[in-house]
Amino acid sequence: MDLDANRSLIATALGRIPAGDRAALQTVYRLTSAKLFGVCLRILGERGEAEDVLQEVYVTVWRRAADFDASRASPMTWLIAIARNRSIDRLRASRQNRKMDPIDAAAEIADTAGGADSALESAQERARLHGCLDGLASHERAALRGAFFDGNTYEDLAARMDVPLGTMKSWIRRALIKLKACLEQ
Amino acid sequence: MTDTFDHRSLPEDELLAAEYALGVLAGADRAAAEQRIARERTFARLVAEWEERLAPWTAEIVEVAPPPQMWDRIAVALPAQAQGGGLWHSLTFWRGFSFAAGALAAACLTALIYLGSITQQQPLVASIEGGGHRHFVATIDARRGTVAVVPAAFSADPTRVPELWLIPADGKPRPVGLLRADETVTLTLPAEFAAFAKGDAVLAVSLEPPGGSTTGLPTGPVIATGKLTSL
Repeated sequence: MDLDANRSLIATALGRIPAGDRAALQTVYRLTSAKLFGVCLRILGERGEAEDVLQEVYVTVWRRAADFDASRASPMTWLIAIARNRSIDRLRASRQNRKMDPIDAAAEIADTAGGADSALESAQERARLHGCLDGLASHERAALRGAFFDGNTYEDLAARMDVPLGTMKSWIRRALIKLKACLEQ
Repeated sequence: MTDTFDHRSLPEDELLAAEYALGVLAGADRAAAEQRIARERTFARLVAEWEERLAPWTAEIVEVAPPPQMWDRIAVALPAQAQGGGLWHSLTFWRGFSFAAGALAAACLTALIYLGSITQQQPLVASIEGGGHRHFVATIDARRGTVAVVPAAFSADPTRVPELWLIPADGKPRPVGLLRADETVTLTLPAEFAAFAKGDAVLAVSLEPPGGSTTGLPTGPVIATGKLTSL
């Protein structure tokens, strides 16, 4: 589907939710649930948990749709942030029984350019972010990936990459500073 | 090791916003950031900007269709919209409506029981599933107006009780009664809901405080749903 058309369909439907329009929420669900379920599943790694969290995500959308400001944010970004945050909350709550594999930064494949779908994000923005991520050192990129896609905390990342916690914090913070500088160029 | 990084820095608040958006904060740090998002517009704005910066990365995440019954689960779990207005949200309207509908349904039930007795209506069953597990199996005997619910793989939670809801095509949940994790429960289908117990309706189970929901709608998470089908 055309990117702008899709974006405005989602934004319009979100705008109707605060009045209690269930059909509008169902429209948002129809247009976005596969993406948001993918996000929950990626972070949680388990279907049952991802289903529970997906339910919480749309209940949150229902409750908080009035907070969405179409003039300032992209609807998909707003929805994905809710899905990521609810998934991370769930992950943090059940973290003790989770096993994590070590991250080998050297083995980290530099290919960050692959995109599974292009329907909801502009190709230009994606290319720019990936260009900037490619400009980071491989250990920095690996640490950011672990946080973003696996929901890892500083402690998790320090353990997985076998470095002291303080080192991990400065890696991530430096990577974020570099990323912003690059994106603003 | 040489580092060409120019050590330009960012304000502490902006770094904190970036860490939150990345998802790397835990425990008290994450909770503190969430409180600031709720209270400080400027900080919330910084977080939103970082979410926007990182969002294109999610294009890497493969889309996965949720299971078909997922929407029903969500629809049941929706609370009444607090900020909404109009007739749809008026409690007085619903009270009046449910009274009128109740009277009508009671009349329908009488007709149904009569028809049922002559047509030997088949029972309806639903496998109530969620999170990849079957939690309960329910059988509705419309002729007797009863629902028998057998626990399958439901694990009890000492602080909450499972409550059964009937959701007809209008999407509005009707409370049926409390279930047990350790034994079969036979509930009487409230007469005013009996007409809703047909092939297009869904049964759902939510977790409620002891004694069940007092609002007439689910207050806790909906953990499982199942469509009614004729045997």
